[in-house]
Amino acid sequence: MSVRIGIRGGIGESVRRVDGEPKVKGDFEYASDLSREGMLWGATLRSPHPHARIRSIDIQAAVSSPGVLAVLLAGDVPGKKTHGLDEADQPVLAWDVVRYAGEPVALVAAEDLELAREALKKIVVDYEVLPAVTDMEAALSPDAPRLHGKANNIIRSLRILHGNPDAKADVWVEGIYETGMQDQAPLGPEAGLAVPAADGGVDLYVATQWLHVDQDQIAPCLDLPREKVRLHLGGVGGAFGAREDLSMHIHACLLALRTKRPVKIVYGRQESFYGHVHRHPMRIWMRHGANRDGKLVNVQAYLLSDGGAYTSTSGPVIGNATSFAAGPYEVPNARLEGTAVFTNNLPCGAMRGFGAVQATFAYEAQMDELARALEMDPLELRSRNALHTGTVMPTGQLVSGAAPVRELIDRVAVLPVPPDEPAPDRDPMLLPGGAGHVGHGESLKRGIGFAVGYKNIGYSEGFDDSSQAWVRLSRDRDGPLARVKTAAVDVGQGLDTIVTQIVRTELGVERVALEQPDTRIGSAGSSSASRQTMMTGGAVQLACRAVREELDRQGGLERLNRPIEASRTYHHRVTGKLDENGQGDPHVTFAFAAARAVVEVDTELGLVRVVQLAVAQDVGRALNPQSVYGQIEGGSAQGLGLALMEEIELTDGKVRNASFTDYLIPTILDMPPVVSELIEEPEPGVPFGAKGVGEFSTVVVPAAVAAALRQATGRAIHRIPVKPDDLAGLRPALAYRKPPGS
Amino acid sequence: MIPASFDYVAPKTLPEAVAELVKHGDEAKVLAGGHSLIPLMKLRLSTPSFIVDIGRIKDLNYIREADGHIAFGALTTHHDIEFSDLVKRRLPVLSSAASQIGDPQVRNRGTIGGAAAHADPFGDFPACLLALDAEFKVVGPRGERTIAAKDFFVETFTNALEPQEVLREIRVPSPPEGSAGTYLKFSRRSQDWAIVAVAAQVTVKGHAVERVAIGLTGMGSRPLRGSAVEQALRGKPAHAEEIRAAADRAADGSDPPQDLNASPEYRRHLATVLTRRALEQVTGHH
Ligand SMILES: Cc1cc2nc3c(=O)[nH]c(=O)nc-3n(C[C@H](O)[C@H](O)[C@H](O)COP(=O)(O)OP(=O)(O)OC[C@H]3O[C@@H](n4cnc5c(N)ncnc54)[C@H](O)[C@@H]3O)c2cc1C
Repeated sequence: MSVRIGIRGGIGESVRRVDGEPKVKGDFEYASDLSREGMLWGATLRSPHPHARIRSIDIQAAVSSPGVLAVLLAGDVPGKKTHGLDEADQPVLAWDVVRYAGEPVALVAAEDLELAREALKKIVVDYEVLPAVTDMEAALSPDAPRLHGKANNIIRSLRILHGNPDAKADVWVEGIYETGMQDQAPLGPEAGLAVPAADGGVDLYVATQWLHVDQDQIAPCLDLPREKVRLHLGGVGGAFGAREDLSMHIHACLLALRTKRPVKIVYGRQESFYGHVHRHPMRIWMRHGANRDGKLVNVQAYLLSDGGAYTSTSGPVIGNATSFAAGPYEVPNARLEGTAVFTNNLPCGAMRGFGAVQATFAYEAQMDELARALEMDPLELRSRNALHTGTVMPTGQLVSGAAPVRELIDRVAVLPVPPDEPAPDRDPMLLPGGAGHVGHGESLKRGIGFAVGYKNIGYSEGFDDSSQAWVRLSRDRDGPLARVKTAAVDVGQGLDTIVTQIVRTELGVERVALEQPDTRIGSAGSSSASRQTMMTGGAVQLACRAVREELDRQGGLERLNRPIEASRTYHHRVTGKLDENGQGDPHVTFAFAAARAVVEVDTELGLVRVVQLAVAQDVGRALNPQSVYGQIEGGSAQGLGLALMEEIELTDGKVRNASFTDYLIPTILDMPPVVSELIEEPEPGVPFGAKGVGEFSTVVVPAAVAAALRQATGRAIHRIPVKPDDLAGLRPALAYRKPPGS
Repeated sequence: MIPASFDYVAPKTLPEAVAELVKHGDEAKVLAGGHSLIPLMKLRLSTPSFIVDIGRIKDLNYIREADGHIAFGALTTHHDIEFSDLVKRRLPVLSSAASQIGDPQVRNRGTIGGAAAHADPFGDFPACLLALDAEFKVVGPRGERTIAAKDFFVETFTNALEPQEVLREIRVPSPPEGSAGTYLKFSRRSQDWAIVAVAAQVTVKGHAVERVAIGLTGMGSRPLRGSAVEQALRGKPAHAEEIRAAADRAADGSDPPQDLNASPEYRRHLATVLTRRALEQVTGHH
């Protein structure tokens, strides 16, 4: 069937966001704005210790505290005591042991938040503090405390062997790289409202990324059948992976069911730092071997990631990082090993880039090192080894889709570089320091760095994350109207707008109304892994086509008088698990990106100004170009943040900067202009040929910024975020040593 | 976060404000621009049960030069200082510092009196006022008294005021003709608090440095004078080598804190470099 053209606001146009106006005007209802008659407020008591045994909990004073309706402990959880995305190992409320500072221990529901907080202070927990393991290498040691009573602290270990992993090469370079723990920092903190229902069940209105996976975890803990736990989407103020795991969901439901009143829980900013998982810190060892002519021969990598106290998605994250560790290059031989461990740090899980960000920082640093060792242009080296359609990856997976790596490199390299104006003549705002003045541009050095990278789209390793859509076409006084329902979440990325555009194009109807997502329809999978345009977009397209077929049978839009409806489910192609040598067909498909960063460093002080970021991205097809540019720019900002300042600082497992005063996020003045190039090579076998676009600038920008800083300062930069004293040469760089267990 | 509950009064005159403070004792707090006090109250680090808002008191917002000094009413905003022609001409160190405080919203609400009274060692005005030998005119139940800058900033968040006293005016001695000043501020992120900053005010006569004053932000639990630099440079030629040698002593006698932003060693390094650059700038080496 042909795609309709001529309708306004269809695919390919930079249609204005359907949620834009209400958000700008402050009319949009975020989950934190929810309220109900007779509503109570819930609050959470959290462990101050990273590792401790709970000897006793005294709630007497809290129970009789003014305005308190319920105080709940682990013993009050009627069903299963734990939840988790991949492994249900995270207690709803801790009962015997707490494994991270910030772990929920008790809940209070009270007439208002103030009273709830007062009551929390009256709960007395007697802890026996246990030795904590807070370093990922220490967690591997045979005498480290075992967090989950298993043989060791390993969450997942995998090994990918490719070609001859012992193959010899002319030139070798090696390095150790580290990345910090980044916070997703969505502007909207965790929030939701649980309303008890007459049937003994509960309705939960919540900001999330995936309603059905929440429902699957909540129902067994409440000891209720799935259909009695109905989830409804509350307005989401950003996610970036932070809303994949449960936060206040079960807590609010427990309190609502106990008090028989609606209960709202909203985290403050500080609590939000404890209330969700973060980007995994990683320590990565790499050795790259090449021939004199610059062809990669062998890549050896060992990646260690700090999963924190509970499993979450540490498994797939280390799986991604390890399978991408050789980069978007054709590599004949490789040994890639990855291990994720438990520690008593905050649990880590999904964040934009999902393992690819850390790996890219490491392998792109290695590619620059290799270029230096070979006395070769770094872009030439990358081009010479660029992966392409038809390449076999280290996992044995054949790249069957679009893979314009060489083109991305060429295109980003020719984007114009801003002129290097003499410092003394400049507006001081255009010097490192920006709004703060550190001089007239003394000791200023410019550097330019490149990075290329990639990531999978959709869930991997055999997971069938399908999406269902329902479309109903009818006519009212104003003409034809299409209603659409899915369970897919617009977390702010613009999905609702894309769905509207797809319906317009497919049905030739301009008026499209989206129903609020809930669990009455089938799962849409998560709004993560850059997958919703492909998956829910695909489901909506299928449903529209079914409606359209019936419409054509009835004689077209002019004859439409009976409503036509259809429901369809979209599945991506089947993938498979990796075998014990890391061989298989794990990923659905990939998108690639290249970035160039231009930086200036006040080398004496170690202060940075990023002058410009340029990104070329493989998008398949831009369904809404403005939205794509927005994703590239936002993703670049998050990447710049990781490169230069965003890090959750932990000392002995305790967070030291749980606020936006101390956790630094770049402001608009720290963000340079982003120049983007879209490469539109349609992806075969996916709806409209459109690839996901949300993560790829975040994957490459940190590596590009680090490369530019190396060029400007001549210093080895092995860790991000880069600190000013590293750049000023006041701290020694990380020296190479052997990976653990080798 | 939302502050704990409190009562509020907005007197029309200074004596009324003092009377309210006397009445409510330790429970009361003065509110000026609110840009330090309200954040502390939201974080529950400060929980006054009574707020005396001095924002409605007339005639506390002025900048004027008379009798050998430049006077600032306590309620003069950072914005007004940033854009005052008088300050630009006579005390550029203060217009420079004012322009680097927070963002425009903060500068529109925050007051010099509040910034001084707050006595934050990372605040930008305290080091400037210390370097400028400012005097603080305060009124209390027993009338008015004057506190010298070196005595005013006691410790982190602690000034020399009695609980019932209100700061009315800050006076800075008029600098001699030919005096120049600037404020250099280092922060990792734009519009952020200083990690280290340096205020410099210098008068060069002929080729020699006649007067030099250095104020340091973020180098201890209160703003500090760079006395060793001042001593080393006073009376010396305003040349690059002398400046460098003097600036190398910027961290002498300081006790810079260790925090997430910087180590003490890095702070010493910053103080040295920024002092050198500030001195070079005000003596025309740039
Ligand atoms: C986002 C943000 C960023 C900021 N960035 C910076 C920065 O980069 N640099 C910087 O220096 N500051 C910064 N500030 C602080 C700002 O400058 C404040 O305005 C200032 O520190 C306090 O002035 P205020 O008038 O707001 O005082 P308030 O907050 O009203 O009061 C502060 C304290 O002083 C007392 N007080 C106020 N006036 C008097 C008086 N006349 N007599 C006696 N006691 C008094 C109060 O009781 C209180 O204890 C920032 C603030 C914010 C919110």
